[in-house]
Amino acid sequence: MFGREFFVNRYRLLGWEFRDVTPKQAIRVNVMNVKGINILERLRGLGVELEKIPFLHGGYWVLCSDFSVGATVEYLLGYYSIQEVAAQIPVTLFADLRGKTVLDACAAPGGKTVQLADLMENTGVIVALDVDGRRLNALANQLERCRVKNTIVYRLDARKASKLGLKFDKILLDVPCSGNFATDKGWFRRRTLADVERNARLQREILAEAAEILKEDGEIVYATCSLEPEENELNIDWAVKNLGLETVEIKCYGEEAPTEIFGRKLDDSVGNCRRIWPGETQGFFICKLKKRERG
Amino acid sequence: MKVAMAKPIEDFARLFGAKLNLEKGLVVKKNDKFFLLSPSLERLARKCGDWLFAGTYLGRVENGRFFPSFSLLSMIADQAQNRVVVDDKAAWLFVCGRDIFKEGILEVHGSKNKGIYTLVFSRHGECLGFGRIVRDLEKAESGVVIKNILDVGDFLRRERSTRISEI
Repeated sequence: MFGREFFVNRYRLLGWEFRDVTPKQAIRVNVMNVKGINILERLRGLGVELEKIPFLHGGYWVLCSDFSVGATVEYLLGYYSIQEVAAQIPVTLFADLRGKTVLDACAAPGGKTVQLADLMENTGVIVALDVDGRRLNALANQLERCRVKNTIVYRLDARKASKLGLKFDKILLDVPCSGNFATDKGWFRRRTLADVERNARLQREILAEAAEILKEDGEIVYATCSLEPEENELNIDWAVKNLGLETVEIKCYGEEAPTEIFGRKLDDSVGNCRRIWPGETQGFFICKLKKRERG
Repeated sequence: MKVAMAKPIEDFARLFGAKLNLEKGLVVKKNDKFFLLSPSLERLARKCGDWLFAGTYLGRVENGRFFPSFSLLSMIADQAQNRVVVDDKAAWLFVCGRDIFKEGILEVHGSKNKGIYTLVFSRHGECLGFGRIVRDLEKAESGVVIKNILDVGDFLRRERSTRISEI
């Protein structure tokens, strides 16, 4: 079960007609680093044409630039990060991040870790985990470039996060996933349903661990850049039924996630999740969870 | 994890005529790297000791030599007496790893003597790195006067060597 036709047909059954897209490049201003600096004016002065992303605070599409926006002095000084539009959304769904203890369970290469630190204004603590040494180096470089001060990094599998002996107010699960064709032009050639199911199992293990270490009044934001329901709606349906979690209604870009997948009826609350089909952004799936109240 | 002396860091700051007052208990040496932690990070680092990176990275010691981080340069920047301000062209060339020509210098503060270390600032007041004065700034009329030792373009060079796509 693989190939372009197989997957495109699945998308059709989920209500989306396939069209090839190439998402525009986007940047996110690191507000903590630009106090007193008009970064937009500086970039315009360099000839970079930007357009505000209407549904994101501090996010801009790069419409035109004669050079890489990753090679400016302003970038090197941590004034902004290059971050795909949909990837900027998950962190914004946490309420009241200042001073909190936050777990970024699959953190490298660190774009969302920096965004968390920015929204936390470098207060509280971010515990950032990843397993790949090369990606951890990239994470450390990002933290240094963007002047993040509130983060501690461990080489640790997210499925073993309880080893730290901590409970968290907020947990970001930007889990490893199968990706999507919009950012990976060879996607249909490489991916099979078996890959998707393997990733879905790994994601469920990470969700289960996160549920264990979440404080009673804590929040989890779960995100993938996969379009496959096994990694998205089906995993959330499983989490709601097995981990004592419930979904929370979110207001963000994207459409309501389907609650019937290939003829299988899911918990109605899965509709609180957001599915983003490729177009203005790459493909994405986002969900906010909290512990179900007892009694 | 070992609680380290902040001495290599304070010694480095003194090269620029700056005096740092780091709270000693919050400066931590992990392997060959120094970090400045907040009190809450320090408690966490003590509890779960096997971390790789924490708080503000200050620099590393390699073969007995101290290599500063850009965070440390920013901390020093506010107090440094030895500093030069360069024009846009010289700033860009410096960030690309090049040395500084006399023609690109707009302002000189502190010592102008050969052999002295100096921070390099853009005309926007941003610290771009540091170098060593190789010809007396008072006497030289043109040509290379400051040798580039470290510049923020280093992040780009590091990214190129560990390219990871961000999504």
